[in-house]
Amino acid sequence: MKKIIAGLLAVMMMATAFAGCGGQTSTGEGSSNGSSGEGSSTDTSLFGEEDNISLKVWGPDASINLLKKQCDAFVALYPEKKISIEVVAQGESDAATQLLNDASTAADVFGLPSDQINKLVNAKVIQEVAFADEVKANNDTNVVEAATIDDKIYAYPETADNGYYLVYDNSVVKSGDEAKLETILEDCKAAGKKFIMDAGNGFYSCMFVFTGGLKTDGLEEDGLTQKFTDYNEDDVVATMQAFSKLFHDYSSTFQSLEVSNIASGFSSGTCGAGIDGTWDVVANQTALGDKYGAAKLPTINVNGEDKQIVSMFGYKYVGVNAAAKFPRAAQILANYLTSEDCQLERAQELGWGPSNKAAAQSDFVKNNVTISAILAQAENSVAQADLADQFWDPMGNLGNQLIAEKTDPTNTDAMKQLLNETLTNIKDV
Amino acid sequence: MKYIDYKQLNPFQKFAYNFTEFFKKLPGRVAAFFKAIGRFFVKLFTGIGKGVANYVTRFIKGDFAVKLSYLIFGFGNFAKGQIIKGLLFLATEVAYIYFMITFGWPNLSKFNTLGTVETQLVDDGPFKKTVFGDNSMLILLYSVVTIAVTFVVLFIYITNTKSAYKLQQLKSEGKHIMTFKEETKDFLDGKFHVTMLSLPVTLIAIFTIMPLIFMILIAFTNYNKSHMPPGTLFTWVGFENFSQLVNVTTGGKRGVTFIELTQWTIIWAIFATFTNYILGMIVALMINKKGIKLKSLWRTLFVITIAVPQFVSLLLMNQMLQVNGAINILLSDITGQEVAIQFLNTNALMARITVIIINCWVGIPYTILSASGILMNIPADLYESARIDGAGPVKQFTKITLPYMLFVTAPSLITQFVGNINNFNVIYLLTGGGPSTERFYQAGYTDILVTWLFKLTMNQQDYDLAAAIGILVFIVCATLSLITFNMSKSMKDEEAFS
Amino acid sequence: MIKSYKARRIISNTIIYIVLAVLGIIWVSPLVYLVLHSFRAEGLATVPYLIPHSYSFDNYINLFVNTGTLNFPRWYLNTFVVACCACVISTLSVLMVSYAFSRLRFKSRKKFINVGMILGMFPGFMTMIAIYYLLKAMNLSQTLVALVICYSAGAGLGFQISKGFFDTIPRALDEAATVDGATRNQIFWKIILPMSKPIVVYTVLTSFIGPWTDFILCKLIMGDNRDNYTVAIGLQLMVSNEFKVNYFKQFMAGSVLVAVPITVLFLMMQKYYVEGVTAGGVKG
Repeated sequence: MKKIIAGLLAVMMMATAFAGCGGQTSTGEGSSNGSSGEGSSTDTSLFGEEDNISLKVWGPDASINLLKKQCDAFVALYPEKKISIEVVAQGESDAATQLLNDASTAADVFGLPSDQINKLVNAKVIQEVAFADEVKANNDTNVVEAATIDDKIYAYPETADNGYYLVYDNSVVKSGDEAKLETILEDCKAAGKKFIMDAGNGFYSCMFVFTGGLKTDGLEEDGLTQKFTDYNEDDVVATMQAFSKLFHDYSSTFQSLEVSNIASGFSSGTCGAGIDGTWDVVANQTALGDKYGAAKLPTINVNGEDKQIVSMFGYKYVGVNAAAKFPRAAQILANYLTSEDCQLERAQELGWGPSNKAAAQSDFVKNNVTISAILAQAENSVAQADLADQFWDPMGNLGNQLIAEKTDPTNTDAMKQLLNETLTNIKDV
Repeated sequence: MKYIDYKQLNPFQKFAYNFTEFFKKLPGRVAAFFKAIGRFFVKLFTGIGKGVANYVTRFIKGDFAVKLSYLIFGFGNFAKGQIIKGLLFLATEVAYIYFMITFGWPNLSKFNTLGTVETQLVDDGPFKKTVFGDNSMLILLYSVVTIAVTFVVLFIYITNTKSAYKLQQLKSEGKHIMTFKEETKDFLDGKFHVTMLSLPVTLIAIFTIMPLIFMILIAFTNYNKSHMPPGTLFTWVGFENFSQLVNVTTGGKRGVTFIELTQWTIIWAIFATFTNYILGMIVALMINKKGIKLKSLWRTLFVITIAVPQFVSLLLMNQMLQVNGAINILLSDITGQEVAIQFLNTNALMARITVIIINCWVGIPYTILSASGILMNIPADLYESARIDGAGPVKQFTKITLPYMLFVTAPSLITQFVGNINNFNVIYLLTGGGPSTERFYQAGYTDILVTWLFKLTMNQQDYDLAAAIGILVFIVCATLSLITFNMSKSMKDEEAFS
Repeated sequence: MIKSYKARRIISNTIIYIVLAVLGIIWVSPLVYLVLHSFRAEGLATVPYLIPHSYSFDNYINLFVNTGTLNFPRWYLNTFVVACCACVISTLSVLMVSYAFSRLRFKSRKKFINVGMILGMFPGFMTMIAIYYLLKAMNLSQTLVALVICYSAGAGLGFQISKGFFDTIPRALDEAATVDGATRNQIFWKIILPMSKPIVVYTVLTSFIGPWTDFILCKLIMGDNRDNYTVAIGLQLMVSNEFKVNYFKQFMAGSVLVAVPITVLFLMMQKYYVEGVTAGGVKG
């Protein structure tokens, strides 16, 4: 039954794809074959001449088994073609580096996070998405936007969840308290437990300025210099001070540690709450069991006003290697792997938040506390795309300075200086 | 001091004399080192000149067979009956011509531009297909290979002409011409060095020298993340990468990073070398002191840490030094209140001190190992005469043990210093270069030049900049080492037994 | 006078014993920590106390049983094979080069020595990319053969210490043998090598340990081919962000399994190692 649905879905997608592409390319066998192939559940004309296809697919270890299953389903869709797919475990964060080192031994279809797209496009080793209109129609606009450079989409959206969220022990943080950073810290302190986040890492510490209204806004034309949105310096500085003051007031509760310590802390009973990445969801759930609580990031009180914490938020994609030997098959497979069905399967089995609009509206996703928390945080976030290489270190340093013992949170001038130095250094290529 | 005066000194004075002389001569030796470099180039050019002259003379004096061997490899050998040797020469020529036609020339001809054909996107129905153009990196690499092969063949070619001419001489003098079998046998005796060196030297030439030349050339190109083969081309840019590093005004952040990291690298190398050396020696002295029992047990306690791979012990140390790590837990247990010291992550000075201290843990066992051996070798008569002069244990240490150790280990001290400049593991595994700072380009406060180089290559694909840094690091290390190497006794004494 | 001297000696020795004991504890404690926690049954990556509360062999068993994408036994075998092959080639290279440089006299010997020294001073990472593509051109990328080549190709450059050792063997021996009609080949195998046990052991030991500890070059060469990983990058993978939470205990267990054989080997050979490093080091 499932297979039939999948097959039907694939057909529908391809039909949409052709509707879009037919207009762009007036000639070419693709469009003419497309119309004749419409309606058959195993439309192989898209593959063109390609046969005896062998593809290599990279996915992170956690998803390997599911990925294999999905690839098998894909092969079964096209019984007329001889397709063999090799699924290899390869962490998404390393994918771009490996691809840049040697594209010819890299996978044809690979998972990657949003911040690597720019690099790969510059090096011309990632292939433009073939089913652009379909991708645009079915996925969250922000996600598509983050993979778009010069009006061209370069990767198929896979998830809209590559960010961080608040995870807590619900026996420590009382119901309702998870909404405010102040109450979370108070609860943790009362229980003698830690609140952990990695304040020295730019990925997390950028929330200290984002919350104050300073956000990134793509790159200058040179492709290297970071642009920022307009912001009110006093607001940003006040927010930084608020964070710094909280961390100093709760210095024995607040710990700046690598995020893997959060799950460890839950399991050993030393951690009450933390800001953790979505990749640790399973570890946190296992460590906390029934006490698992997840929510979007809390608010922080800045001069009497509760401000929602704004975070950095990335997405995951499936990209196609420009050096792929079977470019058509690779595109079709990438498109298949990011379809609504596949995304929903991943949400169910792995807890990954879908980027597909229909999948995101499904009952399962709506009822899943973690995925809803993550998707809710996505509303209050800055996309992790088009960031300068120089973004991370200065931001990490800013975080380190805010929590440093010698820093005086009440010293507005020093904070202002820190902010301006950070921004100057991010822009200085 | 004349030889006879020297001979009359007691061993203690002799030693003191040698010791002071050693350091007195230092500046002279530094100067000599640079003179030697100059001499090297003079020699090189005169050598080439001589070679060319000989090459021409041989041709003029040679008979028909010799002359033909200038065109056809091995002809001289054929003419004089050395068939197998001649065939080997000929085979080289044929192979080289084939190599140049199929592989060498196609790459070498693009060497000056490093490729011009751009990567293109081609429409393929509703799809796009990438058609890759020239790959600058492979063109450069294969050109280096081609040049290297050409040099080897050139060497064989000269050998071939020499061999042909020598055979002509032997024949005219009526002497015995060696058969192939006899020549092969000679490789086990007269030419044994060729047998011994050929395999290692070949391996080194292929996997060290060629890649090195390639990377040195990369320093003069713009091979970085904006110019990445196979998608995009890169090309020659001259000294641009170097000027970015050494010129603070135009280099911007890269220049600042380079200068500050160089300073820290040197500070690090000095501290890492001397803390290890002095502390290690003290421990070694304690272990080797007369009357201390269980010497091998004590030594084993330290030495056992050498056997644990550094990526294990240092990653573990990193874990232990975190805010919630073992060290802070231990301190909390001892003091009874919560201690949360940020050893590595926030404070630059703290992190740097921590790195140096942890390096002691890594390095001291090595010093103990080598110092124990040396301590046992100090001539007993030195102590004897010192005792007669009324020197106490402290004086004996400062006047004999320490200078002796310094004297004997001075060369290895410099080797260690150079080693510490390139000490990747300790920094990379322990701090990863952190704490991060906004002031440096892709580096943190504890990064030394090699870890920066590594980060630029592996994370940033800034191969051009990394290669330039590598060359500068090399220049520093090479100067230091060659000075000491030429100074060290071993170079002068190695003939002592002959 | 004598008594006070004796008393002073006892006091100073006691102080030395105390200092040595304290230092010994400092040096060994991280290793003890490693071993203890590799048996830890409870908790994930970190725990807020020094001594584990419960012990089990699970971490070790998991290394060998859960071999899905992290196949530790396979990596262990790879490393062992690579280490053995690289060790043989490296040892031969080093001994051959240092013998030639030390005992044989030929034209441009000193030039070779100087070039050898210079080459050793370039930072190794510079050449990694080039080596990778050379191996690829030879059709060897992602294979264990490539690793063996990488680990042993440059070995000849590490000739200094063993050259220093060979320099200490009197040349009269060679001369006597030559008079007796021995070729240099025979001298090398029958006279010099048997006398050089410490330096041979030293070279074997250092070149055997190399492949167990490299986590950089191997990663580049193997890329995504996890079947051909060595333990070093395998263990490195276990502490990457993706795995750390769940695999840190296994990382410690795996580390112990790597460290134990090397340590045993090292302690057994310690005597030769010391002799080799002192004899060669002082001279070279």
